[in-house]
Amino acid sequence: MTTKKIGNVRGNSAQLYRFALSYLSRVSEEMTFKPVRKVGTLLMAGLAVVIVAGCGSTAATPSAAGSTGPAASNGTTNKPVTITVGVLRPGASQDAADALNLQIDQFQAKYPWITVESQEYNWTAPTFTAALAAGTLPDVYTIPFTDGKGLIQQHQIVNIDARVRALPYVANFNKTVLANGQDADGKIYAVPTQAYGMSLTYNRTLFTQAGLDPNSPPATWADVEADAKIIAAKDHVAGFAQMATQNCGGWQLTTLTYALGGRMEAVDATGKVTATVNNAATKAALKMLQTYRWTDNAMGSTFDYNWGSINQAFSSGQIGMFVGGSDLYTTMVQNNNINPADYGITVIPLASDPNAGVLGGGTLAVVNVNTTEGQRDAAVDWMDFYYMNKLTTEAGALADAQALISNKQPVGVPALPVFDKATFDQSQVWIKSLINVPDAQMSYFKTKIFDQPLVNEPSIDTQTLYADLDPVVQAVLTDQNANIDQLLNDANTQIQKAIDAPAS
Amino acid sequence: MDSPARLAVAPSGTRKRRGPLGWVSRDGLSSLLFLLPMLVIFGFFAWFPIVRDVVMSFQRTNLVDTPKFVGLDNFAAVLNDPLFGKSIGNTIYFSVLALVFGYPLPLILAVVISEARRFKGVLSALAYVPVVIPPVVSVLLWTVFYNASPTGLFNTVLSWVGIGAQPWLQNKDTVMPSIVIESTWANAGATMIIYIAALLSVPRELYDAASVDGASILQKIWHVTLPQLRGILLITMILQLIATAQVFTEPYLFTGGGPANSTMTVLFLIYHYAFQNSLGGDYGMAAALSIMLALFLAAFTAIYMWLTRSWSTNS
Amino acid sequence: MKTPRLPFRSNRTERPRQTVPDVHRGIVGALDWRFRRVRWTVRAIHAFTLAFLLVAGLGPLLWLAKSAITPTQDTLRMPLALWPHGFDLNYLTQAWSQTHIDRYFMNTVYMAIGSWATQLIVATTAGYALSILKPPGTRILTALVLATLFVPSIVLLVPLYLSIVDVPFLHIKLINTFWAVWLPYGASAFNVLLVKRFFDNLPSEVFEAARVDGAGPFRLFWSICLPMSRPILGVVSVFAVVASWKDFLWPLLVLPNPAVQPLSVRLPTLQPTTELNIFLAALAISTLIPIVIFLIFQRMFLSGGDVTGSVKG
Repeated sequence: MTTKKIGNVRGNSAQLYRFALSYLSRVSEEMTFKPVRKVGTLLMAGLAVVIVAGCGSTAATPSAAGSTGPAASNGTTNKPVTITVGVLRPGASQDAADALNLQIDQFQAKYPWITVESQEYNWTAPTFTAALAAGTLPDVYTIPFTDGKGLIQQHQIVNIDARVRALPYVANFNKTVLANGQDADGKIYAVPTQAYGMSLTYNRTLFTQAGLDPNSPPATWADVEADAKIIAAKDHVAGFAQMATQNCGGWQLTTLTYALGGRMEAVDATGKVTATVNNAATKAALKMLQTYRWTDNAMGSTFDYNWGSINQAFSSGQIGMFVGGSDLYTTMVQNNNINPADYGITVIPLASDPNAGVLGGGTLAVVNVNTTEGQRDAAVDWMDFYYMNKLTTEAGALADAQALISNKQPVGVPALPVFDKATFDQSQVWIKSLINVPDAQMSYFKTKIFDQPLVNEPSIDTQTLYADLDPVVQAVLTDQNANIDQLLNDANTQIQKAIDAPAS
Repeated sequence: MDSPARLAVAPSGTRKRRGPLGWVSRDGLSSLLFLLPMLVIFGFFAWFPIVRDVVMSFQRTNLVDTPKFVGLDNFAAVLNDPLFGKSIGNTIYFSVLALVFGYPLPLILAVVISEARRFKGVLSALAYVPVVIPPVVSVLLWTVFYNASPTGLFNTVLSWVGIGAQPWLQNKDTVMPSIVIESTWANAGATMIIYIAALLSVPRELYDAASVDGASILQKIWHVTLPQLRGILLITMILQLIATAQVFTEPYLFTGGGPANSTMTVLFLIYHYAFQNSLGGDYGMAAALSIMLALFLAAFTAIYMWLTRSWSTNS
Repeated sequence: MKTPRLPFRSNRTERPRQTVPDVHRGIVGALDWRFRRVRWTVRAIHAFTLAFLLVAGLGPLLWLAKSAITPTQDTLRMPLALWPHGFDLNYLTQAWSQTHIDRYFMNTVYMAIGSWATQLIVATTAGYALSILKPPGTRILTALVLATLFVPSIVLLVPLYLSIVDVPFLHIKLINTFWAVWLPYGASAFNVLLVKRFFDNLPSEVFEAARVDGAGPFRLFWSICLPMSRPILGVVSVFAVVASWKDFLWPLLVLPNPAVQPLSVRLPTLQPTTELNIFLAALAISTLIPIVIFLIFQRMFLSGGDVTGSVKG
């Protein structure tokens, strides 16, 4: 690109370079002869023309957020249609790909007119926008609960209300979970596919090596601190680690805040939202991290973990404990080659505060706006088949589990109910005999999590809030003298600004 | 520009006045054909984007709804963003560090290597190897070197000489120097080659004359070599400043701008505004900041042009 | 010690005797070389430089080669031990099959070839038109091209990106195609002005003669201009290939589909989701290819004197 030529001296043979320079210098002589005023006028004229054109072309980008008309899925003619689905993450193992292909084959056998193509996809806050703007997202892709409302408001995802309501189990959805994908009028734009509660994930092998009992993981934050210190001292790895980049720092800080009884946003009776990230619980959470990091020196030496890299570091035995979603085991198998014996999971400790709760979140499946009506029908068929069947029908649950097992993928990873508790319990029974994860290591969490109050993520500008809290977490972990009050007050101001900004 | 000596051959008589039709039928059409690639490419990928950038800096747009003109709001928003000042500070810090670390090293290497009596080729090839490695690979490799645990590669080496483990990329005070060290390693070889070539063109008689006048080696370097290289030294400096004002790849890959925004650079901030908010970028703010950066770079480019001109006429 | 004494004037023209290879005359002149202290200092400096460059230039590569075949735990815990737990060449094959380095390397090559071609086409045709044919408006066009030299394309990131997402007026989407990289590369004012300037200086007699022989504008371009401008085309080519080889941000934005990504974009995506030993093996493979190319064409990289020699003036 233009500047690279002049800006990038590197990597060129010197003489070519000097030769080029001497030529350029003569080029620059021409400047003095320029009829400057004439060019200026011309530019202005060009500008005027293009301003008009520019507005036109931007406005012409796809804007339709989908028709709300009745679904054509029961139409008699099924024209051939192709959809792309974003299921596999970059770097997924061949086994994971094979498992998906098996399911795609089953789907195509059931819906012979639909062709399904797998497209690599991974939602991360810093990369999603570019893909959205570019229209390169798969036809069916997933987003976190946090972004459902925002994308609906911006007309970036398709209204699939009629199509979803035609499914037999729609009444069984857990109402609060489904709400993440509904607009203000209750129209469904997104289908929740999985829900997680935050957990304390720990490495059983490192616990044993440090002389701790892997069967009695920490139950209070004081326990966490004590165990982290021991692991750091004995195993020479991070006793406790914390994600801090790609919005995960803010996400995890919110988790800790909830566990200590605080909230990040307050909504008053008029619906006005106030940022409250400088609340006492958040300060306490950061002080806790500060102590782990600087007083105990129990957090190792890496403080720029994101979701992917912390999973990887954990799987390779670099981390004693960390807080993460309860569904991480699947990724650790698919991408990180974890030794199952290492994996331990327990509920995160809650403070005695009545407001203390577990941050819960989850994944929504949505349909890309750049799709035809036929593709939208097929997309909902795919969601029904791939995400819902295994939760709602015995045949679906068994088929899904068998496909996973035959390709060495985990079955029985802890999750929270997307549907009501009865449906969930039933689905657990169906696959009981097929569970291939170290269930004994997970069963404590699986029962205990239902005793903990689940708290949804902040509802407005969630990812912005997380993004603004990342640097705060980073500062506390990398700067011994970080001023927590100051950092949180500044972040609060920034977040309030984002909340108050007019929706574009 | 129109000095007769330079005026290339125009078909005789074709430039005389005549009607547009005649012009098109003669060599106008072929001129147009030859201009076409440039008109199309520059039109779509240079001129139009420049204009659009200016327009967008006054608009609020999410690419879906109709853009709204908001006057200078975007510029105000950028100027009021605490990250703005921070990113400028970081970029200047990077540039200064890159000058301190990266500017003398290639020159010293070039002088030493061009004086070598044996292994000259081996020496310059060794120094050039890092340039050949794709920059992204270098950064990813150095991320492993910079592992901040006591068993990290650099920390292991430091422990041999009794220095404690350094946090490298994991601390706001050490992160920028760490990035600059990698970047110097990756780029010094290329600049060195330029200097080696320049050194060849220093007239040897000057050294001989200096020797005769009793100059020591260091005096010869100071009084002969450096003055002779003055022009190229100045130019590499300006080019380095222009390049470092646009630094992005290294902080993006090494730290994602962290810790605590201590490596957020200006170009990174533009990228951040436009592409890092998961609910849609603020293209207006990105455009506004782009305009500011463009004005700054244009000033440097002008200085550069002026310098190269005077340099080429002086030497 | 004192500084060397002034030698006699007559020594100036005489070649010094013995010890000094007479090819060498530079900063350390024959006169200096006669002093033992100078000789040893210079030798010491060179030995130190050689050692330093071996460590800095070759060291990282050797380490990468080693780490590509040792387990993750060794790399993390004993990065400088040779192979405490043996080595396993399988990591390389695993990296090859799991990460498809070959495909991304070929994408890198396609990217370079295509942007080289567009840059050459645009620069030569535009240079020819603006310098030789000179249709009306040449001065304004040249000024417009020159103006873009002051606006580095990197600051046009956002509008340029939007133009790729939806090409203005035509409403074509170039994203995920190599065109998204090739075409914007073509808009290089530097190249156009460089080539135009070169054509300006071609001897006019040649053109006159050709024209007398009845050569049209296309003949002139193809048979006279291009053959005569080989040196400048070499310069443009080197710039084009190197820039494309190094670019990261732009392909990162416009090539989100892994099937078309170059190495530079693909490797960072794989980093957080690939086990460290496999990832290092992938890095080692991607380094090997450019290193081999460098070794083969080493002289071209490190000198390039031929090109300048033939176009002096």
